Amino acid sequence: MSQVLQRTSPTGTRTTKVIGALALLVMAWVVVSGLILTPQDVVQGESVRIMYVHVPSAWIAYLAFIFTAVASASWLISKKHSMGFDRFAGASAEVGVMFMAITLITGSLWGRLTWGEFWQWDPRLTTTAFLFVTYVGYLAVRRLEGSVEQRARRSAVVAMLAVLEIPLVHFSVVLWRSLHQGATVLNPNGDVKMDDLMLFTLFSGVVGFTLVFVWLVLHRQRTMLLVDIANRQGLDAAIAARQTESLVK
Amino acid sequence: MKDAGFIFGSYIVTLGAILMFTFATLRRAKDSSQSVTEKDKTWL
Amino acid sequence: MDLSPRASEPSRKPRRWLPIILLSLVGVGGIVIVTQFLTSAIDYYCNVDEIGVRSGCEESTRLRVQGTVEQGSLQKSDGKTSFVMTFNNKSIDVVYAGDPGGVFQECISVVAHGRMIDSTFESNRIEVKHSNEYEEKNADRLDSSGSAACSQVQG
Repeated sequence: MSQVLQRTSPTGTRTTKVIGALALLVMAWVVVSGLILTPQDVVQGESVRIMYVHVPSAWIAYLAFIFTAVASASWLISKKHSMGFDRFAGASAEVGVMFMAITLITGSLWGRLTWGEFWQWDPRLTTTAFLFVTYVGYLAVRRLEGSVEQRARRSAVVAMLAVLEIPLVHFSVVLWRSLHQGATVLNPNGDVKMDDLMLFTLFSGVVGFTLVFVWLVLHRQRTMLLVDIANRQGLDAAIAARQTESLVK
Repeated sequence: MKDAGFIFGSYIVTLGAILMFTFATLRRAKDSSQSVTEKDKTWL
Repeated sequence: MDLSPRASEPSRKPRRWLPIILLSLVGVGGIVIVTQFLTSAIDYYCNVDEIGVRSGCEESTRLRVQGTVEQGSLQKSDGKTSFVMTFNNKSIDVVYAGDPGGVFQECISVVAHGRMIDSTFESNRIEVKHSNEYEEKNADRLDSSGSAACSQVQG
């Protein structure tokens, strides 16, 4: 069985297969319900359907960046400095940046239909753009020259600073005057004003995107381990070749 | 459906980005795994 | 043992510079966002009742004004849209050259960009500020209430 899995994907296991299958099922439901079954909104009409991909992608991006910070802190605090923490942080940030990009693109499409504009530099959009740029910077820091330990230390510091932007983004609509609407589900008074099927589809989206996130992070961090091992083997082979050369001379 | 281009576009962008990331990750894993022994694949 | 770099090996220098270039672009992007956009984003708009009262909401300057489109005030003629915008019991007349589009309608909150000219707000950009409430569209109720946004406000 493991050999079959290895042929299809070297980073796959039974667990990832189950998570992947569940993610496909839930995402299929979200697409069908979001595009067909859910009703139109009384004010926004059909454009409300974009919410079922826009909102979950934003939440999962936040979640990914929080996981990156926690894993980074774990790497810094732990005595062994296990590189597993660093790889998890990197994988989570990569998936988070992808979800943040989805959030920005789907948000601008939704904005064009409701506000009448693709983009406006209001508090929510401005802080979200800054968050996205920060994490692109984090990924660039991870690719700077140096050992895996240097990579882990530099990026852990950046991750722990960057995560502080998330509360600023989330509460920007409360702290300042924003064109973006306030939170519907995560609002301070806890009173959710949303049609039942709309709410169920939105939560299905959160579950589906979470499964996709877990699946991608598991595969990505294992791929990072393979790349690190391959690089180390390449270095070891080069040193061995030089040693052989010097002996021959 | 009114504004179908924008609505379908948002779903295509979402699913397309996820699929592209998935294929890029699996391809990278396949390329990198050739020189790595089974013993180093700690998840197996 | 000779550990000097090999001249014959393929150079990986361009890849080494890529993260540094990207990091520089990110730095410039971040600085531009903070200095150019974040400062003006914090006070994105003035409310109707703050025009000429609050600092930064002077009538002589170009403003972004927020208020609700008053029910029964919306008129469209000669390619222009005019309506009364209200907030906190204060109202202004707004004239917009064109059709705002989007989900613009009566009873909805909008942000109008423009200038006060002879007690009328002449706008060249209207943005609709929709609420965080989501409700199923009901054809019967829409017919009886006249405006979707007003039916949502009135419950």
